[in-house]
Amino acid sequence: MKNYFAKNKYTALLLILLAAVLLFFTVTQGSKFWSASMLSGMCMQFPEFGMITLGLMFCFISGNIDMSFVALGDFAAIIAVKYIVAHTNDTMSNGAIGGVIFVGILISVLIGIFGGFINGILVTMLNIPPVMATIAMSLVWQGFSTALTRGDAVTGLPMLYSEVGHSNVLGFIPFPLFIFIIGFVIAAFLLKCTTYGEKLYMIGTNAKAAKFSAINTKFLIILTFIICAVYSNLGCMIMVSTMSSAKADYGSSYLMRCILILVLAGVLPDGGYGKIMDVLFAIVIVQIISSGVNMFPQINTYYASLIWGGLLLIVLILSTKMTGDGFFAKKAVKKAAAANKN
Amino acid sequence: MSEYLLEMTGICKSFAGVHALDHVNFAVRPGSVICLAGENGCGKSTLVKIISGVYTKDEGEVTFEGHKIDKITPAEATKLGIQVIYQDLSIFPNLTVMENLAINSEITAGQKVVNRKRWEKTAREALSKIGYDIDLYAKMGDLSVADKQLVAICRALLFNAKLIIMDEPTTALTKKEVDALFKTVRQLKEKNIAIMFISHKTEEIFEISDDVCIMRNGKNVYAGKTADLTREDFTYHMTGRKLTNDKFVPKNVSKEPVLEVKDLSLKGAYENVSFELRKGEILGITGLLGSGRTELALSLFGLMKPKSGEIRLNGKSATISSPMEAQRLKIGYVPEDRLTEGLCLRQPIADNITLSSLKRLSGKFGILNHKDIYKDAQIWVDKFSIATDDPHKYASTLSGGNQQKIVLSKWLSNDLDVLILNGPTVGVDVGAKQDIHQLVHELANDGLAVIIISDDLSEVVQNCNRVIVMKDGHISGEIGSDDITEDNILEIIR
Repeated sequence: MKNYFAKNKYTALLLILLAAVLLFFTVTQGSKFWSASMLSGMCMQFPEFGMITLGLMFCFISGNIDMSFVALGDFAAIIAVKYIVAHTNDTMSNGAIGGVIFVGILISVLIGIFGGFINGILVTMLNIPPVMATIAMSLVWQGFSTALTRGDAVTGLPMLYSEVGHSNVLGFIPFPLFIFIIGFVIAAFLLKCTTYGEKLYMIGTNAKAAKFSAINTKFLIILTFIICAVYSNLGCMIMVSTMSSAKADYGSSYLMRCILILVLAGVLPDGGYGKIMDVLFAIVIVQIISSGVNMFPQINTYYASLIWGGLLLIVLILSTKMTGDGFFAKKAVKKAAAANKN
Repeated sequence: MSEYLLEMTGICKSFAGVHALDHVNFAVRPGSVICLAGENGCGKSTLVKIISGVYTKDEGEVTFEGHKIDKITPAEATKLGIQVIYQDLSIFPNLTVMENLAINSEITAGQKVVNRKRWEKTAREALSKIGYDIDLYAKMGDLSVADKQLVAICRALLFNAKLIIMDEPTTALTKKEVDALFKTVRQLKEKNIAIMFISHKTEEIFEISDDVCIMRNGKNVYAGKTADLTREDFTYHMTGRKLTNDKFVPKNVSKEPVLEVKDLSLKGAYENVSFELRKGEILGITGLLGSGRTELALSLFGLMKPKSGEIRLNGKSATISSPMEAQRLKIGYVPEDRLTEGLCLRQPIADNITLSSLKRLSGKFGILNHKDIYKDAQIWVDKFSIATDDPHKYASTLSGGNQQKIVLSKWLSNDLDVLILNGPTVGVDVGAKQDIHQLVHELANDGLAVIIISDDLSEVVQNCNRVIVMKDGHISGEIGSDDITEDNILEIIR
């Protein structure tokens, strides 16, 4: 254990931060913070953006960034919900409705594959910088959503959808959490136990060298954009169950939050680096902050952007200071030098 | 006043407790060319950085023009007349030649307003110092490395430089350009400017330098006149071991060619290139930069599509559309630029070695066990004696020669018929260079067909049993075994 933390200093740091955040809310909120409803509420919430973050992590490791996932996810959710609403009615049996819902989710996944594929083509075949390409695609998807719904929420989902979303698997695991656990295990497996994961890190470090090593970089980057979009679309479908509807701007606050989580976990869009355990801890930390802050009556939702923006800035400053040529890195070098002399 | 322009005695410098320089003595006579030589990591760059004020020395004494200097800062070094031309040349590629030449003196003069005429005057004055002629309005990034270097020299001269330090200036130059550079160096010498030349190319050092200072492991091992030294002594001082220069003699050449190239053309790069390559051969391809040799190699590796012509492998016509295809056809390529094309520096050594053989190392559905990566990599680390205690360390922790061994093992761990090496020993020190050459000889004798693309004529002469010379995209000559000498090659190039 001690050895593990010696090797993974950043993970240790995140755990300390997690403990600090927990301590802060325990002291300020007391037992209210540790109530059962609070905990189950958190477990319902973080799988939404947790799934999206896992997808974006793949993009970051490959040295790319996706700014379109929220808009794409919303668009896919709107289409899926419209499909489900149009093909169900009150007289249908639960089994039949379940079938329609399954097809709806499949549609969302297919749209994700398509959207990710377009992002990948723009970046690899047309050589458009990923930030630009995906911002443009984000506007396009948002435009489709708004045009299709005139900005209104799409409602009328069968009760079954949110019932399943609020059910427990095996009696104690909230359904969204269950989906997240599956998504997490698959992501961890892809990164750690497949050639895809190995190549992803290498491409993120030096795409040119990977190309010269007979690695199909274009294909793998397109695949990565697809994985990212599929994860985030599934996250948005979880969101649909919480909201019982789909709307053009539901997930918009998640864009910055997901980037914040990844930066906090030390995963930067420069590529080549990212530990999935760190991402998990960062997701939990951000969820706790999000829930905890909501408990203060003085702070209402209008401050949300300010809080997340400020946090992102602080984390960015700290993470650049800690890595590369930053202040802390230099200090660490000096310390090592001093230790070496003695 | 002493006979020396710059004199350094007993210089020590250590980083994190490791001695980079251990009581080094170094002296430069005015108007002479001194060469600082040594293998990678011997402390050459550290010494230069102390002279230029980037690092401060821990111990020792520095005297410049008879005055003792306690502490040098980069600004002071410039004022004293010390100018360093680094390998990356520190130029602004998006600005014009004129702007690059004038910008420093404009800033030092504290000018706030741009005056084109004054800039042009400064720039012309700079160029006139070595009688060098170039379009002032050309964009710096578009120039050849050689031209960039000359502009950098001119810029250094604007500051009344008394000592110009050149850090491995010939690395990216062709023979012709090197000659031009040396002409300039001799010109500067006549103006009583001392030149300090950092290099590890033996021939160049003997051609240009008056004095030589050889370093090994942070210590002086030789200082004196170049003329007093034989080439054998020189390499011995550099590496600390006697080197053998065995010329490559092919032992088992196959009857049928493994690779045939027929009338291959790509407009603007190369035209009507035809040659054959047999197993067990080492074919050299040489020529000036821009002769189309790299483009030809890229075409054989599937990164540049030829317009017309045919490539045949083992008698069968082949289209090489991508590096993946090349790998399937058993062609490997060690690229020209190790750092940007060959390695993922911030990834472990082991992962770099196995990057091209993941398919072999993985099970069904691409499932991979990282232990297999390290097991496989360790084989190559041992086989090539790559200097690392742990292949989990980053590739960036290694020296140039060892890094090149990684790129080589990456390809050799595949089953290959043809191996293309583009500049296999650029930036590699003498000792590692010999290791690599020895290795390539063994590979060829084990039945691999090898192509070496190189500027380094001595490398081509020593290692190839056949040489193709390229010029302006055409093959301008082919030389076989006994006729391969540097003079014969040069004759065709010119």
